[in-house]
Amino acid sequence: MIRVENLTKYYGNLRGVEDISFRVEEGEVLGFLGPNGAGKSTTMRILTGYMPPNSGSAWVADINVSESPLEAQKNLGYLPENNPLYAEMTVRAYLNFVASMKGMSGAEKEAGIRRVLGSCGLEDVAHRLIGNLSKGYRQRVGLAQAMVNDPPVLILDEPTSGLDPAQIVEIRNLISELKGNRTLILSTHILPEVNMVCDRVVIIHQGRIAAEGALDTLAAKLQADSTIRISAIGVVDALSEKMKMVSGVERVELLGASTGEEAHFEVHAKGGDDVRSALVAAVFAAEGKLTEIRQVRLTLEDLFVRTVSGEQKHDEETVNV
Amino acid sequence: MYNTFFICRRELASFFFSPIAYVILAAWAVLMGFFYSGAFLSYATVSMQLARNPQAAAQYNITPTSAVLEPVFSSVTVILLFVAPLLTMRLFSEEKKQGTIELMLTFPLRNGQLFLGKYLSVLSIYLIMLAITIVYPIILSTFVKVDWGIVSSAYLGMILAGMAFLSVGLLASSWTSNQIVAAMIAFMILLATFLMEALAIAASEPLSSILRHLSLGMHMRNFIRGIIDTRDIIYLVNINILCGFLVLRSLEYYRWRG
Repeated sequence: MIRVENLTKYYGNLRGVEDISFRVEEGEVLGFLGPNGAGKSTTMRILTGYMPPNSGSAWVADINVSESPLEAQKNLGYLPENNPLYAEMTVRAYLNFVASMKGMSGAEKEAGIRRVLGSCGLEDVAHRLIGNLSKGYRQRVGLAQAMVNDPPVLILDEPTSGLDPAQIVEIRNLISELKGNRTLILSTHILPEVNMVCDRVVIIHQGRIAAEGALDTLAAKLQADSTIRISAIGVVDALSEKMKMVSGVERVELLGASTGEEAHFEVHAKGGDDVRSALVAAVFAAEGKLTEIRQVRLTLEDLFVRTVSGEQKHDEETVNV
Repeated sequence: MYNTFFICRRELASFFFSPIAYVILAAWAVLMGFFYSGAFLSYATVSMQLARNPQAAAQYNITPTSAVLEPVFSSVTVILLFVAPLLTMRLFSEEKKQGTIELMLTFPLRNGQLFLGKYLSVLSIYLIMLAITIVYPIILSTFVKVDWGIVSSAYLGMILAGMAFLSVGLLASSWTSNQIVAAMIAFMILLATFLMEALAIAASEPLSSILRHLSLGMHMRNFIRGIIDTRDIIYLVNINILCGFLVLRSLEYYRWRG
């Protein structure tokens, strides 16, 4: 549905994006992650035909954006970053204007406007000036504007930025409701958002793709090497010796200074085996007293921080699933 | 064409929503009324004197059209020098400043349609302003005989000159995201075309006629006297085409630079 191949865009000498490629299948929700200035907006602007790339190609709804921009744009709904709106128009007049720009007319236009007013919860403010609306409502107007022509592809650039927590939840729910069978690209730097709405993520950093994959496989990959924290009271050497003998355990590290008699270990185990009960048995075998055991889960945050900070722990240079 | 119409309509609605619209229209009506009544009263005095002196009257050949309407129509171009930049300054710069241009450029819309919509909107405002001035020849015609041929030629000239002025203003607006800067640039360009005539007097021959041909005021004068010269029409229309072309280039550049 959406295809990006070897896209490169420089602003003068400044790198926007360099040689990025990815695809989004029909009905999929792709989360576009990255710190500010990573190239998320640049990629989206190229996809919407707003900005031409230096090299590479992009397809929206299987139409080449550079070759036939107008055709591609007809299949597109776009919510730019900062959600620019005409403050002096009423919500309805604005939606009417946007629908006309997208080539709708007559009954089809009227139906489209009524549909998005309903689905975005804007009926009550339809006749108010956009300039007088709260930020949350304005964001809804931005979403309504993007969807008024019922496009198969939606591109939303940081749809929840600058909103308060309640409004963020509101907009997020709205997006989840609206996705239907649309293909959706959503950029954000808020990680839980990705967990909640996206099927797949692309992490972009300094203009390049740092990691890409479906959320659950990415998570499974992260869980493949499990880390367990154990605290116990007993003889440190004996404890670590016994724990090392548990099958599946790769290495045991003693963490920092022990508090009082209690020692803290970090155990790294290979594969998907659950070694926790075996570890508990090992602690007892070393005649220690178990005080705490906890599995350390790598979250999307960890993955994000690792890829973005360029830190390469274990074998994860780039996680490509 | 459909898109163009809606862009034009939105611009008009937005113009009449802002207080600038009413300030400009009011200032226009007051200024034109001032020029007209001044010309009318001085003509009344002069014609009274000439009525007593038929010899001088034959010598000067003063008609109501030339004495009253010509100065009024000439002043239109001068007022337009100030009004055209004010009318056009926000058309592109405001959209750039607010970021709404990003959305406009991602709609299935050609740059030309965007330009044309904005151009037509400001042209219709100008035509409304010109329409207000039609009352003056009508008032005059209730007292004396008005030469409607000259009046129509003058209006054709004012429309064409206005179009050229407005397209220059649009061009300046497409260059910047600051309305004041846009207005100043447009004003400087228009002023320069006025000053060319003054320069032409000082310059030596080949340069002098080039400058005279480039000056806007020169091309207006024939229309106001009732002479429709194709050279003047081509000159004024060409300014529109040139500015339109440059606006499209400017939009391309804006897209490219991001």
